[in-house]
Amino acid sequence: MEKSAWFVWPFMLGFMFALAVLLLRYLWWLRSLLRRPSSRLLSRMFSKHSLLAVREIFSEGLLHLRIYKRNRRLGFMHMSLALGWFMMIVGGKFETWFHSGQFLHGTWYAVFFRYFEPQTVGGWAGTFWLHYMDFGLLLVLTGLALAIVKRIRKKVLGIHSTTRHTLVNRVALTFLWMIFPLRLVAEALTFGQHGGGGFLTGALGRCCFTSGTLAGLELPFWWAYSLSLGAFFVVLPFSRYLHIPTEMVLILLRHWGLQAAEDLQPEKALQAFEIHACSSCGLCLDVCPAIKDHPFQSAYFLRALRSGKGWESLASTCLSCGACEEACPINLGLEKLRMAARGKIHEKHHAVYSYLPTVGPVETSKVDVLLFTGCMGRLKPATTKALKDLFEEAGLSWVHLDEQESICCGRPLALAGRASEASALREHNRSLIKGQQARMLVTTCPICLKQFRDDYRLELPVYHHSEVLWSCLSSGSLKREKGTACFSYHDPCELGRKSTCYQAPRELLQSCGTLLSLEREQADALCCGNSLGSLSLSLSERQALTSRTLKVLEVPGAQSIVTSCPLCQHNLARQSSLPVKDLAEVLAVTGLPEQQGQRKAALAAVQEL
Amino acid sequence: MPKPDFGFSFAPNRALELSVPLLPEVQAVLEAEPSIRACMACGQCAAVCTAGVFTPLAFYRLVLQLWAGEVEVVGQRAQHCMLCGKCQMTCPRGVNIRNALLLMAALLPPKP
Ligand code: SF4
Ligand code: SF4
Ligand code: SF4
Ligand code: SF4
Ligand code: SF4
Repeated sequence: MEKSAWFVWPFMLGFMFALAVLLLRYLWWLRSLLRRPSSRLLSRMFSKHSLLAVREIFSEGLLHLRIYKRNRRLGFMHMSLALGWFMMIVGGKFETWFHSGQFLHGTWYAVFFRYFEPQTVGGWAGTFWLHYMDFGLLLVLTGLALAIVKRIRKKVLGIHSTTRHTLVNRVALTFLWMIFPLRLVAEALTFGQHGGGGFLTGALGRCCFTSGTLAGLELPFWWAYSLSLGAFFVVLPFSRYLHIPTEMVLILLRHWGLQAAEDLQPEKALQAFEIHACSSCGLCLDVCPAIKDHPFQSAYFLRALRSGKGWESLASTCLSCGACEEACPINLGLEKLRMAARGKIHEKHHAVYSYLPTVGPVETSKVDVLLFTGCMGRLKPATTKALKDLFEEAGLSWVHLDEQESICCGRPLALAGRASEASALREHNRSLIKGQQARMLVTTCPICLKQFRDDYRLELPVYHHSEVLWSCLSSGSLKREKGTACFSYHDPCELGRKSTCYQAPRELLQSCGTLLSLEREQADALCCGNSLGSLSLSLSERQALTSRTLKVLEVPGAQSIVTSCPLCQHNLARQSSLPVKDLAEVLAVTGLPEQQGQRKAALAAVQEL
Repeated sequence: MPKPDFGFSFAPNRALELSVPLLPEVQAVLEAEPSIRACMACGQCAAVCTAGVFTPLAFYRLVLQLWAGEVEVVGQRAQHCMLCGKCQMTCPRGVNIRNALLLMAALLPPKP
């Protein structure tokens, strides 16, 4: 190599260093798998799953389609950065192959190709590669411009919060931002001095850099380009940019059937890849109901896990509302990770449930519904009463499983990371169900619903009461007239995002009144603020969340707020200026005008006293 | 000297010894969940507790026992909690009772 070409060394050294560190880290994370590869993994490796993974890598790692669907401008920014760079890497390979007739070269040759071969010839194909490479560069520079705008005025890109970065990330970001403008100038200088070039670099060279006095600048700019590339690669494995290669491996491993562990192992197997695949894109920030109060959002939680410091309080304060998991473009299992972290914090916790009453063999005649109202339902008997009235009206027979003493379903323990302790509770509730002959299990609490559906493995289907009431209404066994009442509906996190039940409650309310549309609803709904998901959020912070949620719900025209979770109902009612009711209560009341009259009379009587 | 008659008496072993510093493990629990200090022993948490129907678990009592340094009893009773959250839903002082109970239950090593 000539002396003048020594400028490639900073890049080469940085690149080799990054490769070596990445390889070591990945091998370390995969150590248990390498020792005992599962047969499932091996069989999936050579199957269509690998092709599906490649497709996902293309659509998410390069095109960033999921981000694009949420926010076009932001999606375009990510896409242009990734796709542009990818185009240049692939194009560089083909271009050098095309020009030299050789496929294999030193990595540096393609990266600094223009310096070595400014006067490339080769007819239309040579011209094609010149313009193609310029197009890639233009794409990256557009993305870069958007990224700079995002840092200065985030609203332009349609976001309110961006991730606050640590020092190493800011250093990496600076080098990354320097790379492409430097490449543009270096290439333009070369073309200006020697002629040629595509529509961008060539034109820039012809208009600004033809003067012979600038010839001395050519080499320094190639040095600067190489230095910034090298420096970026040196910090890459220790910054958030580690996500670029890690996300691709994660997608592969997922398609090969690997699943994240239940316990916290931030440096092992799939969990390690999940934690390091987070790009700090910040999509989880704006959706978080607590973004104004507490920096525990997933981007920060994952960063704390990566550094091993301070993740404990972030894990236990979060409300587990599921909004970030819904928004995350790489589908990270954020709730599972948080539960694993909580399990680690409370690993010394131990429960003793030997006191639970034993349930004898149950012998009953066949009924339609097994009703489970759960712990929260116990504190809200009005909802249970209303639901039983509605069952009666619809001609459904029922057995109320936990009428006497309600034993918790186990999900609150799971949300605290102690799922392993919940088996005794689940056993107890299972024995209540065993032997019963029924068509379905119905719960009034979305938390129970989720637990029964996901972890009980029952032989009968499990429904939320809103789903059953909606089917009664559509089959005609329950009839309602559309009244004049105006409702706003609060989607409970556990029913909406966690159980994707949005339709039934809405249909029910529309059948007996008018349902108002809200600024944030369905998957974007805010948490009521009193979730069982948070272990340590303080009262004042919870109240602040509740008032923000109420601001969304108390739209002009709303006469009452309706929800379908006893916990949400109770919590919202504490701070709301409007009455807050459960769906079952609304439906029961609208059906019985005479009962409404009675209530009014009773109220009037009280007021007279 | 004859004992003065205040019209009430208290058992010496229940008295809070303010001159004695709190046990380190008690301090750790209070630091990890500071809202425990807000408890005013109103008893609502115990009134709704299902575990309390079958066992001597009553959260407000555990708080008093924690202050008194009776970590063994506290740990034992806290282990009966199902973390259902009924208590927290009724607490007028916003104590994070579930987190407190998780921490309290860990005061006692699990029986093999
Ligand atoms: S957790 Fe997901 S949404 Fe949040 S910053 Fe990371 S990648 Fe983005
Ligand atoms: S689960 Fe909800 S509260 Fe927790 S970080 Fe995600 S969005 Fe925020
Ligand atoms: S109480 Fe309701 S909104 Fe709040 S966490 Fe539950 S399900 Fe979500
Ligand atoms: S309900 Fe709250 S304030 Fe009342 S005794 Fe229980 S913890 Fe203390
Ligand atoms: S969380 Fe524990 S203490 Fe509170 S009501 Fe439930 S079982 Fe009782």
